[in-house]
Amino acid sequence: MRWTLFIGALIGSSICDREKFFGDQVFRINVRNGDEISKLSQLVNSNNLKLDVWKSLSTFNRPVDVLVPSVSLQAVKSFLRSQGLEYAVAIEDLQALLNNEDEEMQQNEGQERRSNNFNYGAYHSLKAIYHEMDNIAADFPDLARRVKIGHSFENRPMYVLKFSTGKGVRRPAIWLNAGIHSREWISQATAIWTARKIVSDYQRDPAITSILEKMDIFLLPVANPDGYVYTQTQNRLWRKTRSLNPGSSCIGADPNRNWNASFAGKGASDNPCSEVYHGPHANSEVEVKSVVDFIQKHGNFKCFIDLHSYSQLLMYPYGYSAKKAPDAKELDKVARRAAKALASVSGTEYQVGPTCATVYPASGSSIDWAYDNGIKFAFTFELRDTGTYGFLLPANQIIPTAEETWLGLTTIMEHVRDNLY
Amino acid sequence: MQPRRQPPPAPRSGPGNPRPTAPLLALLLLLAPVVAPAGSRGADDPGQLQDAEVPRRLLQQAARAALHFFNFRAGSPSALRVLAEVQEGRAWINPKEGCKVDVVFSTERYKPEEGEGHLGKCSARVFFKNQKPRPAINVTCTRLIEKKKRQQEDYLLYKQMKQLKNPLETVSIPDNHGHIDPSLRPIWDLAFLGSSYVMWEMTTQVSHYYLAQLTSVRQWKTNDDTIDFDYTVLLHELSTQEIIPCRIHLVWYPGKPLKVKYHCQELQTPEEASGTEEGSAVPTELSNF
Repeated sequence: MRWTLFIGALIGSSICDREKFFGDQVFRINVRNGDEISKLSQLVNSNNLKLDVWKSLSTFNRPVDVLVPSVSLQAVKSFLRSQGLEYAVAIEDLQALLNNEDEEMQQNEGQERRSNNFNYGAYHSLKAIYHEMDNIAADFPDLARRVKIGHSFENRPMYVLKFSTGKGVRRPAIWLNAGIHSREWISQATAIWTARKIVSDYQRDPAITSILEKMDIFLLPVANPDGYVYTQTQNRLWRKTRSLNPGSSCIGADPNRNWNASFAGKGASDNPCSEVYHGPHANSEVEVKSVVDFIQKHGNFKCFIDLHSYSQLLMYPYGYSAKKAPDAKELDKVARRAAKALASVSGTEYQVGPTCATVYPASGSSIDWAYDNGIKFAFTFELRDTGTYGFLLPANQIIPTAEETWLGLTTIMEHVRDNLY
Repeated sequence: MQPRRQPPPAPRSGPGNPRPTAPLLALLLLLAPVVAPAGSRGADDPGQLQDAEVPRRLLQQAARAALHFFNFRAGSPSALRVLAEVQEGRAWINPKEGCKVDVVFSTERYKPEEGEGHLGKCSARVFFKNQKPRPAINVTCTRLIEKKKRQQEDYLLYKQMKQLKNPLETVSIPDNHGHIDPSLRPIWDLAFLGSSYVMWEMTTQVSHYYLAQLTSVRQWKTNDDTIDFDYTVLLHELSTQEIIPCRIHLVWYPGKPLKVKYHCQELQTPEEASGTEEGSAVPTELSNF
């Protein structure tokens, strides 16, 4: 890491005329007296060896760093030995080091999108996510706005980011839903990364730019704030909301069984202690109701995408029955294209299909509700992985997941853009 | 963590006409002597699974069940495998008995080493009995790791476990951010091995388990040289989405069959098992696959 400074200095200096440093080494030479200094100067000044002094001769007992091109290694070594100069090889292969640094820098760049300390490659508290949403809106006031659409059972705000380039009310819109199941942390993490990606790429990337020219995007990174806080403070594997169930000691309902689409049908439970408890009635969960009310009031959503984990699946309606959705053929085609685009990034394979057959029957789900309410392009992503880490996906997979998912999302959004109805 | 792979051919199951499965047939013939006659072919042939269900999911679940069993039977925390991808398979449903699945799949090491991308290959016959757990499994896999290397790694892990100072009590492995400290890795691997047994035993046609997290560990001193420890794991069951805590007691020595006792909150009674129960304490691996 300390070499960063040297390399930075190098770029602008004499070494610019050479591009690659394969096999070049950096010698650290110890000079103990004036005699040794003059011997070293002799070496360094010889033209044919093409040495480059990195850290120069200043005082005694301070080592001098010299870059020795591979062709000169033998000659330099013989000289140093014959003159009794003490040295060590500090860098064995400069090119290898440079390659490593490059990699690291790219990684850091990916992680620190701006200098505001939000590390997109880590999991964050609700507070931090909300704060970053605010920052994004502040950084791009003409594009993004943080909007409160309601509150949770424990009275936490529900914030969405609205991305809009156009004037006028109710432009056709896309809803990106995340974190409805609180333990699926990669969902919230992918969502906040995506928020930053949208604003960063607008007017730089033709795809997202053209999408935003025609449509608005609403992004809800934490659809279940109470659950999320609970996973951070009490139980990492909590899934449901934190609403109280009268007459039961068990807490919460499954917010993805609570939508008004074959509510209380197959694949949900009427037992409050179950992880798939559908709740006392459709939209009983205020978190769900807030989204439903907003979307219905808006009236012009064309696309609804729900991010979950894990299993690496991309699904479309229905979950509540094995019946085929009228648009299944088109949705399947789009989903396959999206999965292919996603896989092109890191080779991550997704399976595609209708919810019921692909994973299991599930009634009262968000995308079924969306679809049955006129939002044709309704998809669920089950993000990484396939069970090795499951819900506890290591943070170092956040950015790779978000990056590949982005391609899946934009593929879908582009199709929506070109097929508005 | 996500190696590049060729997308597998999608298995198609038209009525009575599966994809050409010459290698699978060859394997079935090979396996025929060891498969208990169950009237699975010929006049009794029950309905082959039609296109109504997506066979892929079933094949994956069968492959995973087979791997739980394989890992347990191999008894080696250094040689644990995970599913890479399903390559081909068939299924038969007998409404009275259950569901039988033949599946061929590739595996990779659970603990991938630097620069390794080795895929092992397995084939399995998995029989899910109606409403009953503990599917009957016959599975064979190509060797993924040199026997000597495996023994060495097992022994190394054994030594690491023996050297653990304090009996760690409440832990979270992985931690909430998915991280496993390298010093805790041996504990995790052994827990995963023990959990494989539990997960296999609990698997049914509809219930499928994953290991979510290890939440407590306690190592006991032993009079002999075995590793003896108690731990609590959280299993995740996919169709119900439930998290099931299980207390597991495990006794292990490198090269010896694994002994596991467990009690999951769902079940009523503690279960007991040892590696010799299946009649093959020694892992069988076909190398002429």
